[in-house]
Amino acid sequence: MTAPAIHTDGASLPGSPPGREVAVRLIGTTKRYGALTAVDALDLEVQRGEFLALLGPSGCGKTTTLRMIGGFETPDSGAIEIDGVDVTRRPPDRRPVNTVFQSYALFPHMSVTDNVEYGLRVRGVDRAASKRAVEEVLALVGLQDVGGKRPRQLSGGMQQRVALARALVLKPTVLLLDEPLGSLDLKFRKQMQVELRRLHREVGGTFIHVTHDQEEAMTMADRICIMRSGRIMQMGSPTEIYDEPNSRYVAGFIGSTSFLEGTVSAVDGGMAVISVPGAGDLRARLGQPLAVGAAASFSVRPEQVVVGGAATGDGTSVTGRLVDLLPTGAASMARVAVGGAEVVAQVSRSFSAAIGDELVLGWDAVAARAFEGPKQ
Amino acid sequence: MTAAPGARSRFGVPDRLAGSRRLQLAVIGLPVALWILWWLGGSYFTLLIQSFWVTDGFSVKPLWNLDSYIKIFSQDYFLKTLAKSFLIAGVTVLVATLLAFPVAYFITFKMTRRKSLGYVMVIVPLWVSYLVRAYAWKVILGEQGFLNTALMNVGLIHEPLTFLLYSPFAVILTLTHIYTPFMILTIYAVLEHIPAAYIEASRDLGAGGLRTFIRVTLPLAMPGILAGGLFSFGLAAGDFVAPLLVGGPDAVMISNIIASQFGAANDWPLGAALAAVMLAAMIVVIRLASWVEARSLT
Repeated sequence: MTAPAIHTDGASLPGSPPGREVAVRLIGTTKRYGALTAVDALDLEVQRGEFLALLGPSGCGKTTTLRMIGGFETPDSGAIEIDGVDVTRRPPDRRPVNTVFQSYALFPHMSVTDNVEYGLRVRGVDRAASKRAVEEVLALVGLQDVGGKRPRQLSGGMQQRVALARALVLKPTVLLLDEPLGSLDLKFRKQMQVELRRLHREVGGTFIHVTHDQEEAMTMADRICIMRSGRIMQMGSPTEIYDEPNSRYVAGFIGSTSFLEGTVSAVDGGMAVISVPGAGDLRARLGQPLAVGAAASFSVRPEQVVVGGAATGDGTSVTGRLVDLLPTGAASMARVAVGGAEVVAQVSRSFSAAIGDELVLGWDAVAARAFEGPKQ
Repeated sequence: MTAAPGARSRFGVPDRLAGSRRLQLAVIGLPVALWILWWLGGSYFTLLIQSFWVTDGFSVKPLWNLDSYIKIFSQDYFLKTLAKSFLIAGVTVLVATLLAFPVAYFITFKMTRRKSLGYVMVIVPLWVSYLVRAYAWKVILGEQGFLNTALMNVGLIHEPLTFLLYSPFAVILTLTHIYTPFMILTIYAVLEHIPAAYIEASRDLGAGGLRTFIRVTLPLAMPGILAGGLFSFGLAAGDFVAPLLVGGPDAVMISNIIASQFGAANDWPLGAALAAVMLAAMIVVIRLASWVEARSLT
């Protein structure tokens, strides 16, 4: 399948507030490593002041995209503009962007202060002004008293903050974040997600954040760009992508969802009927254009499934057997065998049923989705 | 050190087994420790003892005195030779470092595909015996040697250049030739371990290639330069083959004098005392180098 067309005239982008300037623009940018195409004719626009997440599994091209914006990789074809200026062949030191590296890359032979001050010294900022800027930015990231320490004397979370401070002190047009939370433990990661959002609000710059963690992207980003095999699959706000995924891949990648595989037996208006062996004819809204007879996936999210209603007989319910009931805290997840597959339904904590019980699962046909079936 | 129950040591072994781990290390390490203690420690000890004895004809008598040390410190010949040896070694290390660094840098960062080829090309000359390589310089630098013949044939000079061979210059040239590969290997080893992200981070923060080299690459390579430099300095300062083969009277080094005390001059206590003084001077140099390294890295 093909990605939706991206407008390159700076006008309306799906999910972006209208009338804002473009900070970064990639035009047909391609990067190959031997026979592998890491980034495939990518068109991308990042609005000034937005927090964009590049999301995808490893090898989807998100990091290569970030490195091309940072200047560490040169595209084989296409162009990169920052602030309307073509920087495609410019080295990293001549671009108004700064990077927070995955490994932080703090200079081990310099103190925290010297690390943060490095970029200012390079720019020839005088000592007094740079000292003040360093103090301010260290306060901003919540690190006041560690200026004299070496990076290795700090915890991972603190090193992360130093790396942020070192990049932010230069007030870059765009801040690039290369999976900076990847090596933190879960508790710290949650804390840093909140922290990064706060920093983004306070600093007001453009942030591009690479991650493979969909939850992280959902929590932090204004807009998410989902990538796969060097291409953009879908772009939009987190709720847009969650509510209106445009493919089976995106629906499966963002949030959790259950799929039942079948063939399209009817298409009417925006709705489709999918014949699923062992489950009958199921009605769902079209997530993407489908032709009658095509292989299709019926998709429904756990919180959209209602357990225990009456069988409707109009394709908005199905009968299955309870396989397992998993408590997750606030609610429980019921795994129900339907045909040869499984549908997960979110149920209240008080829900009780025995394994093997027959259950009727219902849904609103407008909430369920029909997608192209998985590629064989 | 106390640890939480179930904690693991650096080796991934539960801490409650760390004690037996220590035992294992002791068992493995003991023969080596004894070997070194007996042969190396023993010889140093004997040497030190003998430096306080006297020579009598063809034997050494255990009569305790400081004569040898007084002789060394009262005649400036010995100390001057020691200083000259250190100077020759210092110049050698300096030149070798200046030659080695660009090569190591090139192999690490520019020969991305054929790194092992570059590495092997550095190692191969080490397979040729030191003596052969030192002799080769005799052939090249001699009055009838390759260099003089070539220069005369071209017509640049009319008489053979005599300062080439049998001079401190020839010794430094030979020693530089011998120790440059070691410098390349140690510098390569540290450069190879500098994460690319440090260099990228420097560029990202606005530093150009040269500034990145001076502020990031070079300081991080310092431990390798110091280690290689110290290694080469120690061996070059104590060398006695190069001065013997290509040095001539102006390039006599401390080891030549020490060797002759145990040979022709037949004054073992003086030789032992000279060796002790040299060892002490060497320890000072090593302490100095580790002080520099500690200062640059902590």
